[in-house]
Amino acid sequence: MKYFLKRAGFMAFTVFAVCALTFFLMNVIPGGTAELILKHTLVGLEESATEEQLSQISSRYNLDDPLYLQFFRWVKEAVLRGDIGTSYIYKKPVLYLLALRLPATVQLAGASMALAIVVGVSLGIYSALRENRISDHILRIVTLFGVSMPGFWVALILILIFSLKLKLVPVSGYGNLENLLLPAAALSFHSVAAVMRVTRTSMLETLGQEYIRFAKAKGLPVWKIISRHALKNAMLPVITVIGFQMGSLLGGAVVIEKIFAWPGIGSLLVDSISARDLPVVQGCVLAIVTMFLLVHFLVDMLYTHLDPRIRYG
Amino acid sequence: MSLLEIKDLSIEFPAGENTVKAVSHVSFEIREGETFGIIGESGSGKSVIGLALLRLLPANAKVSGTVFFQGQDLLSLKPSELRKIRGKKISLMPQNPAGALNPVLKNGLQMEDVFEGNRAEKKEGMKKALKLMKQLFLRNPEKLCTLYPHQLSGGMRQRLTACISLSFEPEILIADEPTKGLDPEAKAGAVDIFNKIKTEYEKTMLLITHDLDLALEVCDQIAVMYAGEIVELDLASKVLSTPLHPYTKGLIRAQPRNGLVPLSGQSPSRIKLPEGCFFHERCRYSGFECSRKHPEIKNYKGGLIRCHFLSLK
Repeated sequence: MKYFLKRAGFMAFTVFAVCALTFFLMNVIPGGTAELILKHTLVGLEESATEEQLSQISSRYNLDDPLYLQFFRWVKEAVLRGDIGTSYIYKKPVLYLLALRLPATVQLAGASMALAIVVGVSLGIYSALRENRISDHILRIVTLFGVSMPGFWVALILILIFSLKLKLVPVSGYGNLENLLLPAAALSFHSVAAVMRVTRTSMLETLGQEYIRFAKAKGLPVWKIISRHALKNAMLPVITVIGFQMGSLLGGAVVIEKIFAWPGIGSLLVDSISARDLPVVQGCVLAIVTMFLLVHFLVDMLYTHLDPRIRYG
Repeated sequence: MSLLEIKDLSIEFPAGENTVKAVSHVSFEIREGETFGIIGESGSGKSVIGLALLRLLPANAKVSGTVFFQGQDLLSLKPSELRKIRGKKISLMPQNPAGALNPVLKNGLQMEDVFEGNRAEKKEGMKKALKLMKQLFLRNPEKLCTLYPHQLSGGMRQRLTACISLSFEPEILIADEPTKGLDPEAKAGAVDIFNKIKTEYEKTMLLITHDLDLALEVCDQIAVMYAGEIVELDLASKVLSTPLHPYTKGLIRAQPRNGLVPLSGQSPSRIKLPEGCFFHERCRYSGFECSRKHPEIKNYKGGLIRCHFLSLK
């Protein structure tokens, strides 16, 4: 229990630190915020923005206050009333915008994660069992490409092949399973490769252990040796990597969503950054950080479940 | 009547462009009910023999020769047939109990591994196993089964692995350096266990060890190995009290209570074995013939010995 409290406190501090960093960094970017807000609200009338309108906007959002005061006010509202601000552009509460966009991101990141785990782990085991045979070498070369190619490039290649040439799936869109296929594949390609490589290594190490030989000496069939004795031991480093991949998935989602016009918080974040819509940026970062921390917490809990020797306290 | 008949067993491992000759042309028989010991210094090939009998060596090992057990050659048996012998008819007591127990599985489950088939058979088997555990000086075995290996002491783990190896009532028990790494107290405990296995259960055993005290205590026959060959084979009492081969003499002199006189030199490289007798470089009686001609193993005074001089008669 004490551990959980400590852990929760640490997570809260991390969230706070990330929010503070985002806030101040966003304000360091050159360009007047009030001006940018105006430009995004008055489409086509950008030239006619007057000094008067600028100061009006500045005072409405308290943009002339010192930064620490602005940040302090934001934190106070967030903690006391659960209000993390209102979008400058959409004029809607940030929480509402997040609620609208979050399901799409969770769907994409979840599908990619599932792909990374299922495909990565099973290919990793297969590769370990066929160590140094042809199929193992082929898989290892493919995964080398996988970990080396950036996600956005993979996305463009996939669109080129499967949408434009073969016309199997739509280029972009949201809602159907076929819309999900390409973004999930592009996003998870790197993670599948990373998970596979670590599964292979970890599995090979585990299979060389003495308890595996003893299990063989007991007369167990191969599948039982793998499923009962090897898998649980080999999974520790794998779930560590999966936890870290979650971070890169959420980060990668920002770009991939933009490419596939996927209506998640990634594309919301990119749009908000260019519009200097600070509250929304803040909200997106908050959501992503929280998801990342929760996944890592889950991973740590899984450790104790997988290996009884690990105890927190 | 011999229960296990090993003929012309050779084991080689590829090492780059060379091959390491771990065991060359070893033949011996184990009679029913007897305890056969193999002694020799580290790297003499004794453990490899134990593993080869159950085909537990890594896949790159080249094993030739025959191992007859109940009319079947273990080395050419189908894997599915071999599984029926492993752990059931011939079981292995592993070298390092701490490593042989899977750290993430409960002791009970690891014990159950040996019993296949339906639930009732498993239950019946476990009942017998629990009884056996009690007899092997393990108190409160039911509770032990719900614990993990890291919660046991070294001696307890040793006894637990002994129980696992014995629980299916195998016809032959291969014990691979059972006293390696144990403190003197646990060693004395191990001697008790083996005496018990021998006298009460009347098991046939192959005991691989470099612990000469243990060998003298429990073995009926002893084979002394050097550089992958048997150099002397006779009744245990004869080998250990009136050794013939210079190497055996050296081994006995190197015992702490015999003055701890180390054998000079090192055992030869197994990639390029010396011409003549493999031991001649370290042998104090070495003569002209010893560096030219490799000695054959010969009958002498009821035992077997591999020495040109039959060790000076």
